[in-house]
Amino acid sequence: MEQLLVPMICKVDKVIQETPDIRTYRLKFREEGMMDQFTYFPGQFVEFSLLGSGECTFCIASSATRKGFFDCSIKKAGVVTADIHTSLEEGDEVGIRGPFGNWFPLDDIKGKNLLFVGGGIGLAPLRSLIQYCTDNRNDYKDFTILYGARTSADMCYKDEIKEWQDNKTLKVVLTIDKPEETWTTNVGVVPKILEEVVKPVIENTMVITCGPPIMIKYTIQSLVKLGFADKDIITTLEMKMQCGLGKCGRCNIGSTYVCKDGPVFTNEQLKNLPDEF
Amino acid sequence: MSVEIFVTDKAGLQKFYEAIMANHETYAPVETFGKFDFKRVARLTECDPESPVAKTRSIKPLFFPRTSRVMKYIATSAGTDVSETDEDPLAVKRVILGAKHCDARALQVLDKVYNWDYIDTDYQKRRENTVIISTRCDKADTHCFCTSLDYDVENLDAMDVLIVNGADGKIYIRAKTEKGAGLLNSEVTRHASPVTEESATPELKKQYDAFAASFRLRMDYAEVNAKLSKIFDTPEFENVSGNCVSCNTCAFVCPTCHCFKISDEKVKDAGVRYKSYDSCNNGYFTLMAGGHNPRPAKYRRWRQRAMHKFVYYKERFGENLCVGCGKCTISCPVNISIFEVVNQVAQ
Amino acid sequence: MNYTKQIQEIAAKLFAEGKIDVFVGYRMNGFDDNQVPVLISGPQDISKLVFTDKSVFNLVNYLKTDHTRRKRVGLVVKGCDSRSLNLMLTESQVKRENLYVVGICCEGVVDDDGQRMQNCVECMVPDAVVYDELLGETLSGSQTLTGSKPYIVNVDIAALAEKPLTERAAYFEEVFESCIRCNACRHSCPLCYCAKCCIDQETATLYNGANTTSAAFHALMTWSLHLAGRCVDCRNCEKACPSHLPLHLLHKQNESVIFKNFQEHLAGVNPGDRGAFYKYSMQDPDDFIM
Repeated sequence: MEQLLVPMICKVDKVIQETPDIRTYRLKFREEGMMDQFTYFPGQFVEFSLLGSGECTFCIASSATRKGFFDCSIKKAGVVTADIHTSLEEGDEVGIRGPFGNWFPLDDIKGKNLLFVGGGIGLAPLRSLIQYCTDNRNDYKDFTILYGARTSADMCYKDEIKEWQDNKTLKVVLTIDKPEETWTTNVGVVPKILEEVVKPVIENTMVITCGPPIMIKYTIQSLVKLGFADKDIITTLEMKMQCGLGKCGRCNIGSTYVCKDGPVFTNEQLKNLPDEF
Repeated sequence: MSVEIFVTDKAGLQKFYEAIMANHETYAPVETFGKFDFKRVARLTECDPESPVAKTRSIKPLFFPRTSRVMKYIATSAGTDVSETDEDPLAVKRVILGAKHCDARALQVLDKVYNWDYIDTDYQKRRENTVIISTRCDKADTHCFCTSLDYDVENLDAMDVLIVNGADGKIYIRAKTEKGAGLLNSEVTRHASPVTEESATPELKKQYDAFAASFRLRMDYAEVNAKLSKIFDTPEFENVSGNCVSCNTCAFVCPTCHCFKISDEKVKDAGVRYKSYDSCNNGYFTLMAGGHNPRPAKYRRWRQRAMHKFVYYKERFGENLCVGCGKCTISCPVNISIFEVVNQVAQ
Repeated sequence: MNYTKQIQEIAAKLFAEGKIDVFVGYRMNGFDDNQVPVLISGPQDISKLVFTDKSVFNLVNYLKTDHTRRKRVGLVVKGCDSRSLNLMLTESQVKRENLYVVGICCEGVVDDDGQRMQNCVECMVPDAVVYDELLGETLSGSQTLTGSKPYIVNVDIAALAEKPLTERAAYFEEVFESCIRCNACRHSCPLCYCAKCCIDQETATLYNGANTTSAAFHALMTWSLHLAGRCVDCRNCEKACPSHLPLHLLHKQNESVIFKNFQEHLAGVNPGDRGAFYKYSMQDPDDFIM
């Protein structure tokens, strides 16, 4: 297995400072042709090493339908991510292992209305799916994105959100936690806006949600209250992982390995897991 | 495979061991600071294949080392060069003497996790290249409960060669696998004489019955499995974990615990990545960078440990992740017994 | 030495008067005649409490866990344990008013095999030095060791000091090689109360978290230096070590260097008393530093 723990080298193509503490790194494989072999689906994750500092788990924030690169959005939170923020710049090299894990059920959501509910950095895995779905727009019906952040400055992918807002086939609802002078639209936490503003259609709709653990918890509660079936609520779990190969035992929730059986779960599956995430 | 059984006496067994040491890379229990650890040996006087089970470390580190280098890298102006380390996990064949049968069984349990999905090739290579010679215990230790678990200790085939001190004072050497038979054919014939299965079986049976009667701890593993799987939320876990000091000892000495962590070491522009043991009893185990920790409290970590051993692994791979060796209890600073924990919780 | 009855009575009284939330003591381990620590949260479990010469573990260790933090705690301390409690108080880790301390005049404890523990043979402070209630007859007078040089008392140290440097180095190398870095020593030490420890593998900042010999060397030496001049000779670390490493010897070896160069000092005997590593003066010797 040791060779599976050896990363491939990627070059940082571009660094985008999304918010004061979130950066998006656009990566390309150093070796020609590697990118073609790197097939991934929305929802999968990679092990990202800043060599010498350590390895972290990040979901891929872009879709394979956008060729030639992939994105990882990284929030400054721990030791390694702090090192990444301070030292990793354009042209630098990082190690990548992956892609690992399962992905969003792309076949199940075909022909459905889609509701994306994201919070903070939790928009990253959703962005991958949103890109995938907008690139195959005809496969899906109504398309709603609800995104919340603590403040307007903490919103990531501002340029892309603008694109989504300009796209007449998408409905975008943004919210922040506390009022700000320049903010003209919704204020309030995501579950509240979901119930009061978005008022989603239940029929033939799949909800995909990701965000901080506490947001996911209350969002799922409101979704269930609104009448969504558990199998129609899809989320991705955050768990500490190290190997990504179903060996190191960190991401166990009950007999489930989040790195192999997840990170994407429906609420139906989550209900059968012990409450430890 | 025809069953190969040889019979010899104490002197013959020693000659057999010496012959193995002379011709193979051999590992056996060596005493350091009053504990027996499996180390490379060249002479029988250096080691004690009959080391007491309570004081002997498991053979797990010979297959899953405490620390292994998984890769190295060097950064130059031309770019970063990443490669596997040059360490060959195991090029030559080797023999382990004096493995306890619970340790050998533990490898069978570990095979399941290492061979699902991604296959751990290093582990596999070490497994394939190793012949395990195990002496069946004559008496259970205070904390042993191997006969209470989901494997048949009497007919265990986890070791390649089984040695039994027969009730009649003779020593029986029996091949359990093709690998073991091959070793016996080349090494044992000069020091022991073959016997038929019919004549050996009663003696082996007598020895086993005496051994099985010596257990202080007995339980019904199926009942524990069934009960534990239904009581995730029981407050009893708080009571049993109250005096745990949250160190990693139980997991590090356990022959079946297999969690590891990956860490980097960097000197200037070059570095090495290590894979080393980790333990779910460690408060940092599931702590995420953002500060979220699904198992912040001691009782949650103990619950994970007990449930992983007796519920989750069973659900996933069909085996209990515990072989009843009692090493965790002996090594625990405050003598928390996994046997006591699961039984107390299951009641 | 058997104070089981007295301790049960004291615990019952404390719970009845509502003076404590939790009582830390010893209970029988349930399978042989050895004991394990127990945290009792109500009068229903008082009958579990025992105290004999098998009550080995230093219970002050539990004052740093969530089970006792911000609670009123009753606990049993022997001479050495009370010294660590004194240091915890000096270093503002616990509040005296939250504690009800049952001190023991300790005649010495024995290990699993019934052998008198080495630290009891060398004991200089058998009576508890901090207590609300003292059980037993004072033993201080009967000890002859007070006044001699503490670091010489330890026979192992003396024996080791006689050996040539290469032999000593080889000895300690074997110690570090046998360490499996489970950190049982650090977790069992009552004076290792840091929430984030620099030798815990996940937060290790000085070296990587791998289980290599060099990492073990760094971890054990760093840890030992933090305890030099603070070690109270309870040997919790040594009892906890699954590899049976002579960790107390390591502390004493480090401590002997400090004692030679600074004043000799028995940690934790007097409240508020601080060891050499707490104080700094321009006149401090530095020629022992390599």
